[in-house]
Amino acid sequence: MTKKTAYWIFILGTLASLLVLLALTIDFHREVGALTHSDQISSQVLAGKRVWQKYNCNDCHTMLGFGGYYGPDMTRVYLRIGEAGIRFAVEKPEQAFSNSFRKMPNLHLKPEEIDNLTAFFKWASGINNNYWPPQDRKYQTSSTGVSTSASTSSGEELFKVKGCINCHTLKGEGGNIGPVLTGIGSKLTKDFIAQYITDPAKVNPKAQMPNLHLSPDEINTLSEFLSSQK
Amino acid sequence: MEYKTQKVAYPYFITALFLFLLQVLFGLWLAINYGFSLPQALVDVFSFATARAIHTNLLVLWMLLGFMGGTYFLLPEETKREIYSPALAYLQLGLLTAVGVTALTGFVLGWTKGRPLLEIPPPLNFGVVIGALIFLFNVGMTMIKGKNWTVIQVTLLAGLVVLAGLYLFGIPFYHNLSVDWYYWWWVIHLWVEGAWEMVTAAIIAWVLLKITGVNREVVEKWLYVELGLFLFTGIAGVGHHYYWVGAPKYWLWVGGAFSALEPVPIVLMLIDTFKHVKHRQLVIKNPLVWTYAVGCAIFHLFGAGFFGFVHTLPMINKYTHGSQVTAAHGHVAFFGAYALLNLTVFYYAMPRLKGIEFFKESLGRAGFWIMVMAMTGMGLAFGVAGVLQTYIERVLGMGYMTAQGEMRFWFKIVFSLGLIFLSGVIMTLIALLTIKPVIKKEG
Repeated sequence: MTKKTAYWIFILGTLASLLVLLALTIDFHREVGALTHSDQISSQVLAGKRVWQKYNCNDCHTMLGFGGYYGPDMTRVYLRIGEAGIRFAVEKPEQAFSNSFRKMPNLHLKPEEIDNLTAFFKWASGINNNYWPPQDRKYQTSSTGVSTSASTSSGEELFKVKGCINCHTLKGEGGNIGPVLTGIGSKLTKDFIAQYITDPAKVNPKAQMPNLHLSPDEINTLSEFLSSQK
Repeated sequence: MEYKTQKVAYPYFITALFLFLLQVLFGLWLAINYGFSLPQALVDVFSFATARAIHTNLLVLWMLLGFMGGTYFLLPEETKREIYSPALAYLQLGLLTAVGVTALTGFVLGWTKGRPLLEIPPPLNFGVVIGALIFLFNVGMTMIKGKNWTVIQVTLLAGLVVLAGLYLFGIPFYHNLSVDWYYWWWVIHLWVEGAWEMVTAAIIAWVLLKITGVNREVVEKWLYVELGLFLFTGIAGVGHHYYWVGAPKYWLWVGGAFSALEPVPIVLMLIDTFKHVKHRQLVIKNPLVWTYAVGCAIFHLFGAGFFGFVHTLPMINKYTHGSQVTAAHGHVAFFGAYALLNLTVFYYAMPRLKGIEFFKESLGRAGFWIMVMAMTGMGLAFGVAGVLQTYIERVLGMGYMTAQGEMRFWFKIVFSLGLIFLSGVIMTLIALLTIKPVIKKEG
């Protein structure tokens, strides 16, 4: 091979690839509006994106899989834990993750900043990105998310928002640190469940489950929901 | 040292080395964050996010300062004239270091643009642009005045122009998250698999030319072929980042096809390095420089080629994307392709800047092997953590923290290996800062 041949390999190789990228970039701009529902990017969604950037959330969490791997991906967080879950985690991370070995900082966001952030997450959860992340695909099959779905009871919402789902599996979904709770209603009564949630160590001194300090109302709703799982 | 202005490279090398040390220290802190539980009060004031921003920006800064120092060192010998303005070169270093220090302090205080790797906020990022423009002007003027154009000079200059130009895509505030990431990769991917490859391929070609004495025609021919293939596979290969970004589906095919070919030029580079070493015309003066040059080519293939290839195809990437598998690849690839390259240049240039022809290399050699072994181990430990995460979180669909719990052990391994790596870095630093000549026995 002569140096001249080598030169043409360089020029043609580079130009060919560049042409592919530029042509597909033009097409990307034509299609991205529909794929991401860009008509739904309101001023609140934009403000939420600025909040996301202002607090450098992206260096701990990924979004569309890019960013830090210290916390879970946020692409479908709105569908996973809903508005209340997002608010609880951002507003009171010291409570939300009190029993987790990994902590989230309390960055003292203003209430309207949390609203904007939630709007941003809500919009992002609808991005059509070939169903990534795969583990969150189950939330996408229902057209709406946790907090807005008519079929979701508030007990089920609490189960997700308060983090029970991180340790317990219910209907095939959740963690494996605590026992599976599918069908728990046929084994335990509502009163027993309520007593257990109130203070696990009192019922079972060896219990690993933490006291989540839920309000009496929340305990009532949650035990009602769990005892109905038959 | 043949030209007196080559000495402007020295403070670049020193600054780069200290930033490298600092980067590793912050890396260790990140590993502690993963492997151990930290109190809420500490997390509130100094989060993982802040430390990660510092770790990654230090990486970019020391790499770029290393490339710049290397460029200033080779420029006079290539163009056969002194650097256009040594004063501008010092001003540029001062400016970029000041921007860097301000940015890192700003991160701690919460002043950030909040986009990973490109956290430096406006107006500070215009300081980076000005620094880059001074550099391009100085390098360009030296080449123009030298009127002694070579392929190495042209590819180096072209690479530097593209490098600076691509940075501009990282500056705007994008309204649409998908568009945001689309152009974020024009900076990150087209840097490391485009512009940086051009710059470093030119620099390493020059070093090989100098230490082997092989025919320039041969070196430059290989440079064309390798860069042609790097850019052919790399430019459209940006598509392997567009699978899950909200871009059209055909990117799965385009990204998969082009990026599957990405290891080819790296294999070629390795073969070419071995060839040059085999057909050398010069006597080996400092074997450590050779060890580094060959080590760089091998590790480049291992980290960028192999670790990259294993998760670049869409059906695998669907599960590994955004997991610690990427961290495994990132660490080994950057270390192999760029950290070892900079150190090769430092070991070649720094003794010559001090007028030392043969240097004592036992400490430097120990540092090399410790770093290489520790980084190999870290790549594997990150990889195991990544596979666990992929399987538990993505395949089985269990909770994020369930997977993280299983991965903790491997982060403790990463931390331990990181300590060993640190000891290698310190040895390398001492070896480079206290280069001593070997007194050759007569006869």
